[in-house]
Amino acid sequence: MAYKPQFYPGTTSVGVNRRKHMSGDLEKLRDISDADVVTIMGHRAPGADYPSTHPPLAEMGEPDCPIRQLVEPTPGAAAGDRIRYSQFADSMYNAPAIPYWRSYWGAINCRGADPGTLSGRQIIEARERDIEQYTKVQMDSEMTDVALCSMRGCTVHGHSLRLQEDGMMFDMLARTEMGADGNVYYVKDQVGIPLDRKVNVGKGMSEAEVAKRTTIFRHDNIPFGGAQGARKFDEGLIALHHMWERRSKWGYRPE
Amino acid sequence: MVTKSDTEPVQIEIFPRRFLNPDTAQRLLDEIYRSEGVLRIMIQGPNLPREVPYGPAKGTPIEEHKNLLLTLGDQALELKVKVGRIGLELESEEHIEGVRAACERTLPFSFSIKKRKLFHNKLTVSDYAKYGSKVEDERILGLVDPKAKKEKNLAMLSDSRGDS
Repeated sequence: MAYKPQFYPGTTSVGVNRRKHMSGDLEKLRDISDADVVTIMGHRAPGADYPSTHPPLAEMGEPDCPIRQLVEPTPGAAAGDRIRYSQFADSMYNAPAIPYWRSYWGAINCRGADPGTLSGRQIIEARERDIEQYTKVQMDSEMTDVALCSMRGCTVHGHSLRLQEDGMMFDMLARTEMGADGNVYYVKDQVGIPLDRKVNVGKGMSEAEVAKRTTIFRHDNIPFGGAQGARKFDEGLIALHHMWERRSKWGYRPE
Repeated sequence: MVTKSDTEPVQIEIFPRRFLNPDTAQRLLDEIYRSEGVLRIMIQGPNLPREVPYGPAKGTPIEEHKNLLLTLGDQALELKVKVGRIGLELESEEHIEGVRAACERTLPFSFSIKKRKLFHNKLTVSDYAKYGSKVEDERILGLVDPKAKKEKNLAMLSDSRGDS
C-alpha cells in the first residue's frame, strides 16, 4: 500500500485547513497575472530578462556526481538565476495562512526553496523564476486573503495589530489601499517603492469566510482543543501533548 | 483648557476595536472636546513615518502620511500616529458617560473605556533629564514620550471650549 502522508491531526476546520496548506491541495480563488506578481515583488521589471549568477548548468559541465544525476534542477537553478525572495505578513485576525503554515507549504511543496519563519512574517527564498511561480501560487490560492495578508519585504509589522477601519491589516508604509470599488490595490512594491500603476488584487474575504479558511486557532473562533464544552479534546491537541511529553522525557529518543 | 474643580480627576482610556482613520479620529476628538470636563488628551498608536525607514527604499517619501492634521479648539497638531488609543483625564468620574456617548455617536465599531492611571504625577528620571528639577506646567508630565519634542507633539488648548 502506498504511503499517504497525514500532515496534521484533528477534525476542526483549522486542522483541515492546515492539512490543505501542507499538502498543497489548495483552492485557487483569484488569478493575478504573472506581470503583476513580478511588479509587486519588485526584483525585476516585468518582461525583462532574468539576470544570472552563473551560466546555465547544461553549459557548465558539471562534475560526475550521483546526487546531481538523481536530482533534476529546478528551472531557475538550471538557468543560473539569482536567489530572490518574497515575504508575507499575515494578520492574527484570522488570516488564512500563518508563518509556520506558509513555511510548511514551502518546505513540502516547493523545490529548491528556503522558507524562513518569523513571528509575524514569513520569507521564502529561491531562484528568481522559481520564487515568482511560488509567490503566484500563494497569492492566487486560499493561502492569501488580500486584505489580511500582504507582501512586505521590509517594515513588516501589522500581524499583531488591530485592523484598520476598512478591515485591512495596518501597513506603516501604506503599500496597499482599499479602492472605492472595494478592491485592494498594491500601490507600492514589497519594499515600499511606489509603482507606476496600481495593481488590483481583488476583493478581500468576508469575516465569516476568513473564519472558515483560517489556519489560526483562536478562542473567539476555533480553539486549539476543539469545540468548547466537548468531553474530549480534539486530536490536534492530544497529538501535541503526546509530542511534548515524548520530547520532554526522552528528547524523541525512547531508548 | 483647565478648569479648577473640587472633585478628584479621573483618567480613562478609550480603546476602539479598530484603528481610526484620521477623519474618524478628528470627529471623535471634536465630540470629546465638546463634552464637559476634559483636562488632558493623549492619542497613541503605531507610527506613521514620513519616509521609508529601512530597506532598499529607505528615504522614499510616503505621500499618504503627509499633511495629516488634527485640529482641536484653537490648535492644530500634525498627526504622526495611526490613532489606536485615546487617553483622557477628566475633571471627575461623572464626565465618563459624556465621553462614552461621544464614542457611541462617532465610532462605527465597538470600543472599551477603562479607568486606569495613564499619566504619572511625579517627576521621573527621564523628566528630570529633560525638564530639570522643576517643571513649569505639571500637566505635561506623562503626556508625551520623553524623547518627543514638546513644541511638535503637545498643544495647549484655550478655555474657549465648543467655540470652534
